[in-house]
Amino acid sequence: MDTPGDRNQASIVVAQLPIGEAVSGPGDIEVALESLNQWQLAWRRFRRHKLAMVGLVIFSAMILLAIFGPIVNPFDPLKIPGAIKPGGDPPSAAHWFGTDDTGRDVFTMVMNGARISVAVGGLSMMIAGFVGVIVGALAGYVGGWADNLLMRVVDVFFAVPFLFVILVAARFFGQGEVIPLILIFGLLSWPLIARLVRAMFLSLREQEFVQAATAAGVSDLRIAFRHILPNTLGPVIVSMTLIMASNIVLEAFVSFLNFGIRQDQTSWGNALSNAQNSLILGNWWWAFFPGMAIALTVIAINFIGDGLRDALDPHSRA
Amino acid sequence: MLNRRPAPVRQQPPQSSDGLLLDVRNLKTYFHVMDGVVKAVDGVDLRLAPGSTLGIVGESGSGKSVTALTMMRLLEMPPAEVADGEIWFDGRDLLTLTDEEMRGVRGNDIAMIFQEPMTSLNPVFTVGFQIAEAVRQHQHVSKKEAWNRAIEAVRLVGMSAPERRVKQYPHELSGGMRQRVMIAMALSSNPKLLIADEPTTALDVTIQAQILELIRDLQQRTDTALMLITHDLSVVAETVQHIAVMYAGRVVEAGKVDDVLLSPQHPYTQGLLNSIPGDKKRGKELSAIKGVVPNPFRMPVGCKFQPRCPFQWSRCEEEPGLIEIGGPERRSRCWLQAPEETARREAYEEAAMATVADVVG
Repeated sequence: MDTPGDRNQASIVVAQLPIGEAVSGPGDIEVALESLNQWQLAWRRFRRHKLAMVGLVIFSAMILLAIFGPIVNPFDPLKIPGAIKPGGDPPSAAHWFGTDDTGRDVFTMVMNGARISVAVGGLSMMIAGFVGVIVGALAGYVGGWADNLLMRVVDVFFAVPFLFVILVAARFFGQGEVIPLILIFGLLSWPLIARLVRAMFLSLREQEFVQAATAAGVSDLRIAFRHILPNTLGPVIVSMTLIMASNIVLEAFVSFLNFGIRQDQTSWGNALSNAQNSLILGNWWWAFFPGMAIALTVIAINFIGDGLRDALDPHSRA
Repeated sequence: MLNRRPAPVRQQPPQSSDGLLLDVRNLKTYFHVMDGVVKAVDGVDLRLAPGSTLGIVGESGSGKSVTALTMMRLLEMPPAEVADGEIWFDGRDLLTLTDEEMRGVRGNDIAMIFQEPMTSLNPVFTVGFQIAEAVRQHQHVSKKEAWNRAIEAVRLVGMSAPERRVKQYPHELSGGMRQRVMIAMALSSNPKLLIADEPTTALDVTIQAQILELIRDLQQRTDTALMLITHDLSVVAETVQHIAVMYAGRVVEAGKVDDVLLSPQHPYTQGLLNSIPGDKKRGKELSAIKGVVPNPFRMPVGCKFQPRCPFQWSRCEEEPGLIEIGGPERRSRCWLQAPEETARREAYEEAAMATVADVVG
């Protein structure tokens, strides 16, 4: 975490010009300052947030593992090797995370599971962000009846028992496939973003720069999406990371209950579901490694979200 | 921002608008609020010739800004309502234009700069981007060309190293610099009229003088008409040719700036001038107009200034119109200017001249 003094420190970045190159014209004694846009400033603040950087490293490692792991890995996550040893093997040099009772490699299951789990979390986050931003922007900018209608829809989403709807939807529309599950998660988690975006639009549309843009003849649609929307992106991105983290947990949970991804595909939830009977046998590695993968990823994403919250906060001018 | 006023039936241009760029007639803007109706602008008349300058002076709540926002049609309706009046600009009544047509007027024919330079620029874009966007909004030029014009505009408003300035973000500029950017943006499409709503109020005094100097200089060079809204008499005295003094939603006195400030023909203007501290009054108590601005829900009958007016008499129970004094340019909304009130007018002038002599020295 930053110390308060660290954050208040005035920092001026002198443009990195090659030595010998004139900074400016004759007689101009101004120091050339590097103009940093919002994102560059945010990245500077983010880098100072140590936990967020740790989170970013862990999360990046998880992504790389998900992408490249299954390609270089010799084991097939679904193929049962044949020689079944009841209870499976504990972690060893050949099987880093051990094997399950059908002889499948747990490390392989974790890596392949990362693909589905992260995809479910990430893509459902994007759907939630997309729908939430559009709904929130319309409600907040147009106001009146549109606002009323859209916000009542949002209220309905918050009023129904979320888990129950997820389980029912996953069973009846999901059929164990990945894409429907992503859609279900995404289409159920946008209301949070919509409320946030609406609230920000309501306050931003009263800002003078919006009036100035209107006075310059800019159209309503362009003001909403070109002028106001970029100002809302910081908080939106932060809450999107939180949605991603919670949807990864949700996937594990739904799959664990056998309402989610089909058993013949590997996700972290399925790996946990597999392991539920074996814990009493003392085969801790079946549940431990997929569980750790979930926990690490979610914690990493939450750290990133925390770092983004500080980095994108316009009031912290580091 | 949506729900703008439906276009009323088109009217014929009035005959006397000839030669005028702007002719606001009997404009009334009301706000419907929970407690009733606030008549923020209640019968405003303004005239402005092409390339000339008009200052609108008045205290807070006198309706100066609402007049400007009504002209630009920037008020949200409801709660606002244009109850009456016409705004003839360049041969068209702005109140009858469609939203689409009005958007073509805003920023293109009429540009506006606001009071708060700190918040009038979008924090997430470079100033060059914002000026270039204003250019591209109304002129069909390439992005590159718009960018070059942005650099030119920044150069025009006297900022150093324009090529570098345009790449900066608003948070990197001071208040004065941002107001210069706002001026650059406003003038980038060569408007016929520039409305400046308290452009220097948020700036410190040394910067105020620079910005006023800049506005006046650019106004003369580009031959843009200027409507300067301010509560500061010294600002108008230095910047504009004509002046309209507003009180309680009406223009109470109008004329050439020297005429109005040196021989005010309305007791309110005279009171305003009298309350300026001056050398002669050093050590004495500052004079003020007695009483307060009337409650918008309980406006006095007749002349709106009569409860505070030292020259008030029975005739003030009836509201006077704008009475012309020796020509259409010089007008005052006071019964003292009625031709038959010679005796009272002479008494007023005697009292007024004494105080003006005090102020001017």
